[in-house]
Amino acid sequence: MSYGSTIKVPFGPQHPALKEPEHFLFEVDGDTVVSVKPRIGYVYRGMEKAFELRTYHQNMYLAERICGICSHAHTTCYAQAVEELLGSEIPPRAKYIRVIIAELERLHSHSLWVGIAAHEVGFDTLFMYVWRDREAVMDLLEAISGNRVNYAMNTIGGVRRDLNDEAVQKIRGVLDRFEKNVKGYSEIIGKEQTFVKRTRGVGVLKPRDAVSLCAVGPTLRASGIKSDVRLDDPYAAYDEIPFNVITDDGCDVFGRTVVRCGEMLESINIIRHALDHMPGGKLKVSVSRTVPPNETVSRVEAPRGELMHYAKSNGTTKPERYRVRSPTLANLAAVCQTLVGVHLADIPIILAGIDPCFSCMDRLAFVDRRGGAWSCTAEELGGGRGQ
Amino acid sequence: MSDLVERLKAPLKEGLIDVKASRGRRVFVRVRRESFRDAVSHIISGIGVRHLSAITGVDMGGEIELLYHFAYNSVVLTLGVSVPKGSPTMPTVTDLVPGAVFYEREAHEFLGAVFEGHPDLSPLLLPEGWPEGVYPLRKENDYNKLHETELRKV
Repeated sequence: MSYGSTIKVPFGPQHPALKEPEHFLFEVDGDTVVSVKPRIGYVYRGMEKAFELRTYHQNMYLAERICGICSHAHTTCYAQAVEELLGSEIPPRAKYIRVIIAELERLHSHSLWVGIAAHEVGFDTLFMYVWRDREAVMDLLEAISGNRVNYAMNTIGGVRRDLNDEAVQKIRGVLDRFEKNVKGYSEIIGKEQTFVKRTRGVGVLKPRDAVSLCAVGPTLRASGIKSDVRLDDPYAAYDEIPFNVITDDGCDVFGRTVVRCGEMLESINIIRHALDHMPGGKLKVSVSRTVPPNETVSRVEAPRGELMHYAKSNGTTKPERYRVRSPTLANLAAVCQTLVGVHLADIPIILAGIDPCFSCMDRLAFVDRRGGAWSCTAEELGGGRGQ
Repeated sequence: MSDLVERLKAPLKEGLIDVKASRGRRVFVRVRRESFRDAVSHIISGIGVRHLSAITGVDMGGEIELLYHFAYNSVVLTLGVSVPKGSPTMPTVTDLVPGAVFYEREAHEFLGAVFEGHPDLSPLLLPEGWPEGVYPLRKENDYNKLHETELRKV
């Protein structure tokens, strides 16, 4: 019902959807949202400036830490940009390893999201089951790289670690179980009324708006637009691997769930194909420390959508300018439009629907196990002056 | 790809300053400020490009260069335009590409570019109380200087 006047409701910055900070100011009439104003940057770290202060090799570590979930997407994008500036081609085996890690990362990112979406609509049983399966993928990544996140697999000119037979066997075993379970969850999601009622027709983003607001990733594909950097602008070994781009015509949160579940199954097929067809040979080529003056744009399909980096070199060991545009920023305009006209109670699931990753703009923070938290300056990390 | 460049060249004529392709799928086109709006309308309605990936601002010394990265199938077409640092005004493209709204705001906040006709250029990322006129990605603001920047009380 309308009250004929509006009030303003602040949402966040403490964890408006996921466990990350962002602020939205909602103007509501009754419990219907009339307008929304976002204010981001609560964890802004000045990373683009920091890129200009460090050498190309040091920046690989910085790129790894842009995001805690899709760190491999960022390092792949960064490595590709620098390799392009240098004009170097990486070995075929490195391309396949990049794809396998990227798809394992997509599995853990998408399963994280399905769990959160289930939690937001009160379906905590599904949340726990999905996250249990996600653990197996995290363990796998740890077995391969030594880390659950920030795998440090990429380097400029290739990858740093190989996949041995033992790791390949482990991956195949985990994928078999994961595939069976994801198929089960997809079926449950379609039938379970508590989930369907809270997501179908909620957070509608029409195809026309998705395109004009330049949305990316599963958010765009769930509005029926077939667009995926892996297909449109293939990188690494994606031009040699067959896969389907999953779309859905629902244009709502339910559609976004269907797309992500479908993409997990596709990722499993991509990994299996890559393991079956992995070429032998070297893992990396050596590259020069100085980069000739040049500029380029690098793109990858991160779990949340198109990730874009722009790099400009000036003939030294440090970049002249480095630009990072994470998929969450690309989806911000679309989600703000989607939120107008919805009920207050649907805000968390719609916000979570784009799978926002606010920490792609975060500041480095360490948590002390004894309690409390502190920040680590760039000096302590062996870089320049801290911010 | 070369077809794409030809389709841009014809309508822009003298407005076009430079065209280069760093590899098959990355094209950089520089245009004069006067021809910028025509170039964007042509890219959208003439060529049919629908997706703006981002806007990047670069401090070139006396000028600020704004790079509009349009994705078109496998190609990223970057449209570059320079504005003098003294009067860094640009017409907005939000009426042609609504998705540019946050990218223009970011370029304004970090490099001081002013987008005429933009609905809201208020701060988006920097902390509350950040002094006006201090643009972090301009080269004269080095890391130490930014570190000393004091926030206004809000």
